[in-house]
Amino acid sequence: MSIHLQREIDKLKRDLLLICSIVEEQVEIAVSALFDRDPALAQKVQKMDEDVDRREINLEEDCLKTLALHQPVAINLRQLIAALKINNDLERIGDMAVNIARKAAALAAETTIEIPADFATMSEQTQAMLRKSLDAMVQMDAVLAREVCASDDLVDQLKGKIRSRIEQQIRQDPEHIGSMLRLLSVSRNLERIADCAVNIAEDVIYMVDGRIVRHQAD
Amino acid sequence: MRRRRLFWQLYPATLLIALAALAAIALDATMLLRPFYIAHTEDDLESRVQLAEDHIVPLLAAKEYAKTDALCKELGQRSATRFTVILPDGTVVGDSLQSPQQMDKHNDRPEVRDALNTDMSKGVSVRKSVTLKETMCYVALPVQQRGETLGVVRASVSMAGIDGALGTITDHILVACLLTAALLAVATLIIARRVVKPLEQLSRHAEWFARGDLDHRLSTASSEEIDGLAETLNKMAADLKDKLDTVVRQRNERDAILSSMVEGVLAIDTDQRLLRMNEAAARLLGIEAARAEGRSLPELVRNIELHKLVAAVIATQQPAEGEIVLRDREARFLHVHGTVLRDAPEGRNGALLVIYDITDRKRLESIRRDFVANVSHELKTPVTSIQGYVETLLDGAMDDNEKREKFLRIVAKHTERLHAILEDLLTLARVEQEGEKMQSVLANGPLRGVLEAAVTACGAKAEEKDMQIQLTCPTELTTSMNASLLEQAVVNLIDNAIAYSPPGQKVEVFGLAGEREIEIRVRDHGCGIGREHLPRIFERFYRVDKSRSRASGGTGLGLAIVKHIVQIHGGRTAVESVPGEGSTFSIFLPK
Repeated sequence: MSIHLQREIDKLKRDLLLICSIVEEQVEIAVSALFDRDPALAQKVQKMDEDVDRREINLEEDCLKTLALHQPVAINLRQLIAALKINNDLERIGDMAVNIARKAAALAAETTIEIPADFATMSEQTQAMLRKSLDAMVQMDAVLAREVCASDDLVDQLKGKIRSRIEQQIRQDPEHIGSMLRLLSVSRNLERIADCAVNIAEDVIYMVDGRIVRHQAD
Repeated sequence: MRRRRLFWQLYPATLLIALAALAAIALDATMLLRPFYIAHTEDDLESRVQLAEDHIVPLLAAKEYAKTDALCKELGQRSATRFTVILPDGTVVGDSLQSPQQMDKHNDRPEVRDALNTDMSKGVSVRKSVTLKETMCYVALPVQQRGETLGVVRASVSMAGIDGALGTITDHILVACLLTAALLAVATLIIARRVVKPLEQLSRHAEWFARGDLDHRLSTASSEEIDGLAETLNKMAADLKDKLDTVVRQRNERDAILSSMVEGVLAIDTDQRLLRMNEAAARLLGIEAARAEGRSLPELVRNIELHKLVAAVIATQQPAEGEIVLRDREARFLHVHGTVLRDAPEGRNGALLVIYDITDRKRLESIRRDFVANVSHELKTPVTSIQGYVETLLDGAMDDNEKREKFLRIVAKHTERLHAILEDLLTLARVEQEGEKMQSVLANGPLRGVLEAAVTACGAKAEEKDMQIQLTCPTELTTSMNASLLEQAVVNLIDNAIAYSPPGQKVEVFGLAGEREIEIRVRDHGCGIGREHLPRIFERFYRVDKSRSRASGGTGLGLAIVKHIVQIHGGRTAVESVPGEGSTFSIFLPK
């Protein structure tokens, strides 16, 4: 393999990892903004998203350039394709973190609304999944990636639980329907972040094993 | 070229040279021997002919051929030599072995022809005898009398004897040669072995050095040169060992220093690949040291601030510092100081990061900040109320009996509250102060008594809310304590349990003996505490829910006092809670 290609891939990897770290932090801060009721943190998430968007585009262009210039095969090709897709997923996670942060900013004013305890579990689970999927990417660890895929059900269950709880509260207390809907949106965004983490994990499996495991009930 | 063993280079060559020399000598000897022997025989024959001539000349001159023949036979018999007398025309007139009449003319024989040829005067030849059919040596001399050739006298001996003798001698030489060759083969073998063996030994032992066994010493008892070489190798090994030891010692020292450091130290190259890292760095950054080998920093730690800092150091070649927050487990605040790492391998400059954990400092800062803010806030709230109501009273409400009483009651309530806060602050200050000189005041006593006193003290409050306090504690349980302080701590815990439980619930107090500790456990079935509050709940004025706890009459100092009292006893506090189900506060005292 040419040294140039290896160098390009190393650089792409570093860039991707940077986006990873920003996005991971975005999610962390967004969740903190929700629990600490801190609108300032929400603003920070939004600001970070601009950075993520810029980096996403740069990385995509670099990936395409490398594909066109070096025409890589086998593992290198899979690495680049996976990088492109993970990049995309990361950007979406960033957007969802911004959504959560916005809702958190709006909820921060509503001090009477208690945030259900399930949110803590769900956000923790989601963050753990994201962290694991990124770890799997770094270590090219298909086993860890499969763990992430398996743990998605828990987040889905939690989302269902929160949803029915919020429905119940809306029925009891229609006055705060706006806040309730915001909470519902937060839970949906968390669930979608978990889905993106699963996508990343699947891309990792593709990158390592060369097998596409999406849409397979195993 | 194929490498051959020294032995095989040395031994065949030496042997070959020796054998060649031997063969040359043997061959030379054999070749020289025959002509020498023949020459000798010729001389011998010639003198015999000359001796015989004296007898033959007169017979020939008298032409008495029968006598000549008889003489030949007699001489031949006596000297084991064949004599032949031939007339110049080739007719044989006498012969030692045959009768002359049966013999053909002999003037065609080379020796006879030579003898008759006056120039030569002597004929010699070695050839197969026509008459006797065997190889003979002939010497013929002309017989002359007064210038006239009377005939030729020829003497001859059979070559069989000579050849036999020569054969024996050659055989001897051959045997001697073979023996010598065998001896040579053995001798050169031994010599070659003796030359090669110490070298082989040396190289075998030198391999131990190569394998790293530098304590080994070479010893050979051989030639001066080889011994010298062995000595030099030994010296080299000793030097090498010294140097290696020094290097290893220095490295160990460096490693020990690095790994004993509280600060994390991390060296990376320009590609941000990890060069080195100490234990503290691995711990602070949450890196598994085993997996870190050869990976790049972004792979190991996903933190954007850290990467920006590192990138800045590498790009600008200027030192930089910053604070980063790692949130992967519990939030940790790290102060990172990055400097340029010069002389990184391959001449590339990397970065050296020194990392301090400032989580504790951050927390203390926030506690202090919060404390000042809280204490002012807590004191200000009642004072503001008091001020407001007093001003209203002064402004005329004093005259309204009903209002006056109501307002004064409110003022009294807030004063009480102020008093409670100040009281708690004073208690806290006292506890803290006493903590410094406390150890001696601890006395051994039964735990149950203390717990009973605390339960009794809280009885009134519990009754107000229609609650029951259940005490479970073995009477024999004793511990080293300051009874009044410990009672205060338990009272605070029970107070809290009552305050945060709905009416009608019960509070349980346990005294339990653990393996190394004694546990006092206070369990309620109240509203519980959110998990995010648990780490800070023992801080002064920390409130889970600001409005509610103040309404329930707390000062925000109760748990801080508990914590201090327990610290004085050398114990620890713990709390478990499930929101909506209740909380359990535990005090652990050392046995």
